[in-house]
Amino acid sequence: MALLEVIGLRTEIRLKRSVVHALDGIDLSVDAGETLGIVGESGCGKTMTAMSIMQLLPNGGNVVGGEIRLDGRDLLSLSAQEMDSVRGNDIGMIFQDPTTSLNPTMTIGRQISESVRIHRGASKKEAHERAVEALSLVGMPSPAQRALVYPHELSGGMRQRAMIAMALANEPKLLIADEPTTALDVTIQKQILELIDNLKQQLGMAVILVTHDLGVIAGRADKIAVMYAGKVVETTSTRALFANPRHPYTEALFQSLPERSAESGDRLYSIPGLPPDLTKPPTGCRFAARCRYAVDDCRTNEPPLAGTDEQHRFACFLPVGAPVYRTEAEPVAAPTADAVVTERIRESRDRTQAETLLRIEGLVKDYPVTAGLVLRRKVGAVSAVADVSLSVHQGETVGLVGESGCGKTTVGKLIVGLEKPTGGSLLFQGRDLAQAPRTERRRLRRDVQLMFQDSYAAMNPRMLVRSVMREPLDIHRVDSPAERDRRIREIFDLVGLPLSALERYPHEFSGGQRQRVGLARALALRPKLIVADEPVSALDVSIQSQVLNLMRDLQSELGLSYLFISHDLSVIRYLSDRIGVMYLGKLVEIGPAESVYSNPVHHYTRGLLDTIPVADPAVEAAKSSQGIAGELPSAIDPPSGCRFRTRCPAAQEICAQVEPKLTAYGPDNHLAACHLPLRPAAAASEEVQPALV
Amino acid sequence: MTLAPETTAEPPVAPPGSEPDEAPRSMLRRGWEVFAENKLALAAVAILALIIGFCFIGPLFYHSDTSVVNLSAVTQSPGTGHPLGTDNDGIDELGKLMVGGQTSLEIGLAAGSIAAIAGALYGAVAGFVGGWIDALMMRVIDSMMSFPLIFLLIYLSSVYGKSKGMLILEVGLTSWFGITRLVRGEALAIKVRDYVDASRMMGSGGTRIIFKHILPNTIGTTIVNTTFSIADAVFALSTLSYIGLGLQAPNNDLGGMLDVGTNYASQGYWWMIYPPAVVIILIILSFNVIGDALRDAFESRLQKR
Amino acid sequence: MTAYLFRRLLQSVVTVLMVTVVSFGLMKLMPGGPVRAILGSHATPANIAHLTQQMGLDRPLYVQYWTWLDGLLHGNLGFDYVVQRPISDVLFSALGASAYIVGVSLLLALLIAVPVGMVQATRRNSAVDHAFTVFSFVAYGIPTFFVGFLIQQWFEDDLQWVSVQNQVSTFTEALTHPEAICLPVLTLTITTVAGYSRYMRSGVLDQITQEYVRTAKAKGASARRTLYGHVLRNALIPMVTLIGLSLPALVGGSLIVEFVFNIQGIGLVTTRAAQQNDYGITLAATLLTAVVTVVGSLVADVSYAVLDPRVRLT
Repeated sequence: MALLEVIGLRTEIRLKRSVVHALDGIDLSVDAGETLGIVGESGCGKTMTAMSIMQLLPNGGNVVGGEIRLDGRDLLSLSAQEMDSVRGNDIGMIFQDPTTSLNPTMTIGRQISESVRIHRGASKKEAHERAVEALSLVGMPSPAQRALVYPHELSGGMRQRAMIAMALANEPKLLIADEPTTALDVTIQKQILELIDNLKQQLGMAVILVTHDLGVIAGRADKIAVMYAGKVVETTSTRALFANPRHPYTEALFQSLPERSAESGDRLYSIPGLPPDLTKPPTGCRFAARCRYAVDDCRTNEPPLAGTDEQHRFACFLPVGAPVYRTEAEPVAAPTADAVVTERIRESRDRTQAETLLRIEGLVKDYPVTAGLVLRRKVGAVSAVADVSLSVHQGETVGLVGESGCGKTTVGKLIVGLEKPTGGSLLFQGRDLAQAPRTERRRLRRDVQLMFQDSYAAMNPRMLVRSVMREPLDIHRVDSPAERDRRIREIFDLVGLPLSALERYPHEFSGGQRQRVGLARALALRPKLIVADEPVSALDVSIQSQVLNLMRDLQSELGLSYLFISHDLSVIRYLSDRIGVMYLGKLVEIGPAESVYSNPVHHYTRGLLDTIPVADPAVEAAKSSQGIAGELPSAIDPPSGCRFRTRCPAAQEICAQVEPKLTAYGPDNHLAACHLPLRPAAAASEEVQPALV
Repeated sequence: MTLAPETTAEPPVAPPGSEPDEAPRSMLRRGWEVFAENKLALAAVAILALIIGFCFIGPLFYHSDTSVVNLSAVTQSPGTGHPLGTDNDGIDELGKLMVGGQTSLEIGLAAGSIAAIAGALYGAVAGFVGGWIDALMMRVIDSMMSFPLIFLLIYLSSVYGKSKGMLILEVGLTSWFGITRLVRGEALAIKVRDYVDASRMMGSGGTRIIFKHILPNTIGTTIVNTTFSIADAVFALSTLSYIGLGLQAPNNDLGGMLDVGTNYASQGYWWMIYPPAVVIILIILSFNVIGDALRDAFESRLQKR
Repeated sequence: MTAYLFRRLLQSVVTVLMVTVVSFGLMKLMPGGPVRAILGSHATPANIAHLTQQMGLDRPLYVQYWTWLDGLLHGNLGFDYVVQRPISDVLFSALGASAYIVGVSLLLALLIAVPVGMVQATRRNSAVDHAFTVFSFVAYGIPTFFVGFLIQQWFEDDLQWVSVQNQVSTFTEALTHPEAICLPVLTLTITTVAGYSRYMRSGVLDQITQEYVRTAKAKGASARRTLYGHVLRNALIPMVTLIGLSLPALVGGSLIVEFVFNIQGIGLVTTRAAQQNDYGITLAATLLTAVVTVVGSLVADVSYAVLDPRVRLT
């Protein structure tokens, strides 16, 4: 018998005027020592499932049917008091955001020992000792001292470790991790996921990993349940799911992943429409309305969760994929059409040789750090961007990737003029923006527009979309008012939005549509370059593919250039001709997308590639590297020499003494700044002039 | 590769307005729906409408001369001719109540409006400009707010006069500091929002940002707190008149009526005390309840966005 | 924390300076000026010139301000020409009774409002919650003077419960005659509880929805433990700030109850002075109470810093 068995779980949330049928007949099981991944898009009910098991539902939430059996005991029949003794003792839980999930006015040690005192009746002293023990278990450096600090004194990664220590202090049988790394940086994400894996083995627990990230699930889960609209639509072992998805929804999800088309450059599949409203769930299959294979039967009858065998179950009348999947079969080899790749590289090179639109040289941005009680004198500087040079050519997409705090967003803000550079120059079509007279600068700036990560936040909620669209045209007094309206209609046509959308408020749109409006506004002034700052990272994967497709289409139609800023290498790789990698304010590597991705030079790039989870279990299993150790050092007093040396596996003395310069590796302008590169430099290696970059 | 993270706080429902063919719903309408759900607030609106009607329209139907002293009819208890009796000067209480209510409401509304405009503008500018100018502007507010309001009003009214116009100015100009603080706090938050960045990037200047982006987005706070400051102004004015430093006879307001009335408390002339007291209390209560409901309406609308 | 405290202290000093500048400005803006105010409208030009010179009013403004400020720092609030006594004599002797009323009311209001707000928040929308909500709205809606009047009616006239014939003006008198100030304190407490309990209620409601509360429950902490171990402390911290912010209103409320119950506090002195057009005392009292509330909020903010580790440890 499985450790945890969920049978026919139904959960409802009572709102003021309606009832949301959040979960409708969920079946799950987890064994000791096993990781079950629950994956799905926002609103599918994956977190609700975790909260139902813990019986920590939000206000109005209620489990209305089914069973939750832990070691054979039905948790739903327990009294509130008995359930208290299960939480934190038999089941531990960690949450998404360790910053808000810890009590800000209580020391870490006390928060961990509280759990020990509740369940073990330990004395204050014993509980504190156990807390220190738990902290050392989760790899907290100097745990005895850290037990005495408050949450705000720790970094995000360390806080999440403290959360894990709290959840595991009583060695529970089951750990539920709800998006445990979503609020963390990729390099820290890898460390935390690794820690959970190790502790699972050490303590023999079962783990339920709830996540939206198919990459995370591919590398960490033994088996997976895919959820859609409050139901499990497919469940099987991780390998079987990725190699042979049977449910059309799972298939569609995989086809919208940019990494699947990164090499071919094909358009991504995007799922039309939106998930159903769960206050009035549709009859029949809940995915039918968005399914490309749906027939009448799908809309009237509900397919049961069944399958060819116990191991692989799915809820579909018309399953896709192979009827039987043999686990010993070779994973389907990715059909790398060499010709296609070569073609893309050739096209990219053409673009690289096109006219240079934007050139930044030696760009520096320092934020002063002040101290002193009365006269706040400057005592130092946060070095956000340090001597970055790069250029963007006509019709080209340059991707900029790195962890948060690496300075990529600041580069974007400097380019669009939201921040003033401390040093260096920005040349747009050969004109220096800093030295151009005011009117010319205004005119030049019109050609560079910014697309925001969250278009909703970038639109005044009190303005109609029409006014939002009019604002740039009004400010620049473009043409006559009638002409402005005509232009807006034209652009809406272009980005595929109905004209009726103009009379609505931003909050009335879904995430994907907002991103379209955001793009439309960026296009209003007919710019030549669009700086896109994480434009898809807040979107579900199926919506993300719509926006990426649109950006590509517009590029070929209007000859736009993009500077695409993202932490997500797969998205960057799919869209970019060239990729630049930033670390702590420095550009450490830049080159053609394929070359950087498959043949990196810098140890940081290598580490980043190994750290970022890929939605392919085979790739994840093959990863040997431990990712990147440690945490991002402070940018106030960055390390001397190479800024990456404190976390670099190959660092030597020279790295601390001499700052490496960007050097050419290969003939195609692949540059990297490393003393001990992963592969030898190009034959005629010499320092590269910024102009070449 | 990523699906959007799921938050636990919100139930899984499709985003509002996801179907583009449904009729556009304005934010105002949604706010009104939340407000209308609050039965207490609706009652307050009704009561306030009744009081305003009573004070401003009532005199058209109920005629009485509140300026002529009639020593032959002092402190009469309610009866025919004088539904609410007469005061110590023989003036009809019901007529006096209408006139007094008018004065209290006029001064309260006018002072509240001054407070709203001054407070919102000052706060928006301070928050937007930031830096040492903001710090200085806010220290001025801090220092003004540390004066106990009634002390300041006593001084101002005794030095600068107790006429209706002067009292509007005096009360209005001493009651905008609270709004300023709140609006400035919001302005600080709004000016780092992406939509202000977007507008700045397009080339807007400070004035445009303050009037197009900051002020419209603090309108909720301003409206809610204007409602509260009207209540506070009525409160302050009645207190001032009660201690004899507000409006001077014969221009009575409700506080002044109470000042006179409570002097006769021991004689049991209840009609000189409770009618004006009830009207004051209902005015203050109604504005406070409405303000509270408006705050809920604005907040819930922001949550639902 | 030292940096925070120092900055906060500096802020208070600046605020107090601003308070003096505003008061000085008000004094200068008096119609006809202080000399006319003292001598009345029938003064001869010679008299005016003489007094102007005697009071140093012919010197430059900043000199006058400086002299005046220097006097303030030495406790010299000026000389009152109406009662022919130093203003500080008049005000300081009245300060004790007011301080006593404000202090006791504040303490009582907190002792009542904190548990009431907590009960309201934890039993949201119950009969208890609604009852207290109605109470606080009504108590907040009735002008303080009328609350005082009603209390006076019920307790003194109807119940013959306490007799307030003693004139309480000093701190010791207030201490030895608690019955003399218990009705004014009751009045001020009622109006203060109304505001405080609303604030506490929404503070607790705010904290209950925080994610760390969910974490505590996930640990297996009982509802009781979560409330007392986690929510209460975090909800009390903002209450400290509220005390600082509400001080001016409390001092103003004290003026009203002093007037209603005829207690020789600073409020009654001020009211009487204003009624006799004695501007000097009125302005000095306004200035003095403002300075006292600035110091009060400073104390509140310092306690806030001590209570909140996020401030204490930075």
